[in-house]
Amino acid sequence: MSNFKVVMWGLGAVLLLIVVVPLLRMILAADPTVLKAAVTDSEVIGSILLTLRCALWATLVCALFGIPLAYMLARWHFPGKGLVQGVIDLPVMIPHTAAGIALLMVYGRAFLVGKAFASIGLSFVGTEAGISLAMAFVSLPFLVNAAREGFLSFDPRLERVARTLGASPWKAFFRVSMSLSWRSILSGGIMMWARGISEFGAVIVLAYHPMTAPVLIWERFESYGLKYARPVAVLLILLCLIIFAVLRGIAAKRKEA
Amino acid sequence: MLRLRDVSVPLGDFRLKEISLHVKDGEYMVLLGPTGTGKTVLLETIAGMHRIKSGSIFIHDRDATRLPPEKRNLGVVYQDYALFPHLTVRKNIAFGLQMKGERGSRIVEAVERMADFLDIGGILNRRPANLSGGERQRVALARALVLEPYVLLLDEPLSALDRSTRDRLRRELKMIHRKLGVTIVHITHDLTEAFFLADHLAVMKDGSILQQGIPENVLKRPANRVVAELLGIENLIAGTIGENDGYVTPLGPLDIPIVPSASMKSPTGFCLTIPGWCVEVLPGKERAQYAWMGNMTVTGINNTEGQVELELVHTSGEQLRTFLSRREAAALPVSLEKGREVPVAIQREGVHWVPSTDHPSSDG
Repeated sequence: MSNFKVVMWGLGAVLLLIVVVPLLRMILAADPTVLKAAVTDSEVIGSILLTLRCALWATLVCALFGIPLAYMLARWHFPGKGLVQGVIDLPVMIPHTAAGIALLMVYGRAFLVGKAFASIGLSFVGTEAGISLAMAFVSLPFLVNAAREGFLSFDPRLERVARTLGASPWKAFFRVSMSLSWRSILSGGIMMWARGISEFGAVIVLAYHPMTAPVLIWERFESYGLKYARPVAVLLILLCLIIFAVLRGIAAKRKEA
Repeated sequence: MLRLRDVSVPLGDFRLKEISLHVKDGEYMVLLGPTGTGKTVLLETIAGMHRIKSGSIFIHDRDATRLPPEKRNLGVVYQDYALFPHLTVRKNIAFGLQMKGERGSRIVEAVERMADFLDIGGILNRRPANLSGGERQRVALARALVLEPYVLLLDEPLSALDRSTRDRLRRELKMIHRKLGVTIVHITHDLTEAFFLADHLAVMKDGSILQQGIPENVLKRPANRVVAELLGIENLIAGTIGENDGYVTPLGPLDIPIVPSASMKSPTGFCLTIPGWCVEVLPGKERAQYAWMGNMTVTGINNTEGQVELELVHTSGEQLRTFLSRREAAALPVSLEKGREVPVAIQREGVHWVPSTDHPSSDG
C-alpha cells in the first residue's frame, strides 16, 4: 500500500474510532441484569416507542411539504431561491434549545398560531404533536437537501420527454421524477428520522412530558446517576442500529434494482 | 403540417427572434446551425416546453401556441436519447401509450410491432444502461414513433455516435421517413447530415433563421456571408464596386454577370462565395468557361481520408482552398508540393455574390 493510502486510511480511521469507541464502550459495559430490567420497564419501552413514533410522524409530515420544496429548489429558478435554501439549512446552525424557545413563542398556548391550533384541538406544548414539531424543525434539512440532490441527479429532459409522451405534470413527477429520486428521498428520510430520534434540546423546551428516550435518559442521569441512565441509552442505540441497518439495506437494494 | 409564425422566446440572456417556419406534411426539415445558436430551444419551443412571448404555432391545422406538451402529439428524440433509465426498453416504448390510456394487449401489440419495425425485438427486456448508442437511438425513435406523432422532433440524434454507426443510422432515418411518411424536424450542426436528409433546409444563427429553402438552392445561393460560412463554403472573398460599376476583388476583375445593388455599394460591401469544387488547379477548359484565371502558389497540402485539400495563395495575399480526389491529384501532370506556382481557375458555375450583412431570406 502506498504512503498516500496509508495516511488517508489512518486519518479516516481516527474519525471512525471517535464515533465507534464510545458506543462500543457503552454497549459492552452495560450490566446485563440492569439491561434486562430496562427491557421490561414499561416507562423505558413506552418512551422509546414514543420517540420512534414522533420522529416517524415528523418525517412523514416533512416529506409531504419538503419534497415539493426540494423539487422547486432543484428545478425552478425564482427570486430569493438562495434565501430559501439558506432558510432550509438554518436549523442545522442554530442551537436546538434556542430552536425550542422559538417554536414555543409561535406554537405556545399564549401565542397566535398556538391559539389557532388550540381552537381545533391541537396543542403543541407537552404533547406528541409538540415533540414531532420540535423534531421536524431541527431535522428537516436532511430530508429536503437529500430530496433536492435526488432531483438534481438526473437529466430534467427526462421529465420533458415524459410530457411529450402524453404525461401530465403530475404523472411526469410521480412516474419519472419520484421514481428516479426515490432512493435519495428514502435516504434523506432515514437521516431525518434518525436525527429526530436523537433530538433533545428543542424537545425538552417544547414538551418535557411525555418523555422521549433522550429526555428520559437525561432525567434518569440527573435523578439516579449514570448506572440507571446507561441501560436506556444502550437499548435506544441497539434498536436504532437495527432499524437503520434494515432501512439502509432497503435503500441500497433500490439503488441496485 | 407545422407552422411557426414570428415566434419569439426570451430565455435569460438568449432570445429566439421572430422565427417563421412552414413544414409540410411528410416533409423532412433540417435546421442547421452552430452549437449555441438556439436550435434545441426552438425544438423545445415547438414541443411546448418554453413560454412564447409573441407569435403562434400551428400543428396539424390547430393553434397549439398555448397547448401543454402532452396535448401536442409530437415525438421528441434528444441527442443522448433521454431514455428512462429505471425502465426496460419495453416499458420505455410503452410509456407514452400508458399515458394516453391504452391498456393490455393493445400496448403489447403496438410495442412489438414498433420493435419489429426498428429491429429491436431482442432487447425489449434490457435496461438503457446496457444498450449501445445505436440501440438507444432506435429505442428513443420507437418510443416516439409508437404514438404516431404529427411531427417527430430530432435534436442532433446522430452526433453522439461513432462515424460508422452514424452513417448507418443516417440511412435508417431516411428509410424510416420514407416508409412511415412521418413529418420530421431534425436539428444538426453537421452539413453532411443536413444535405443527406433534408427536403427543406433552414439555416440558424444567434436565435434567428437566416435562410430557408430547398437545400440545393440554399447551397447555390446563400443569402449572405454568414450563411455561406455556416454552409461550409470554403472561400469567401470580400469585394467592392469600383469605378464604372466594376467589381473589385483582391484577385482582380471577375467575369460574373451581376447587377450591382444598393447593398453592394454599402460600406460593408459584399462577398464572393467560391465553393472549393469551383477552384480548378491546372485548368483544362476554355478561358470563356472560367470567371477568373491566374497563377497561385501552393502553401499547404492536407490529406483527408478521401481527398487532398490544397491551400493556395495569390500574389495579392488572398487565399483559396480547393479539394482534389486522390485520383485527380495523382493524375496531375506536375507533382504538388509547397511553394510551387500553379495555374488556377475559378469556374463560373457555383460562384455568387452575396451581401456581407445577414438579412434573413427565403426561397420558399
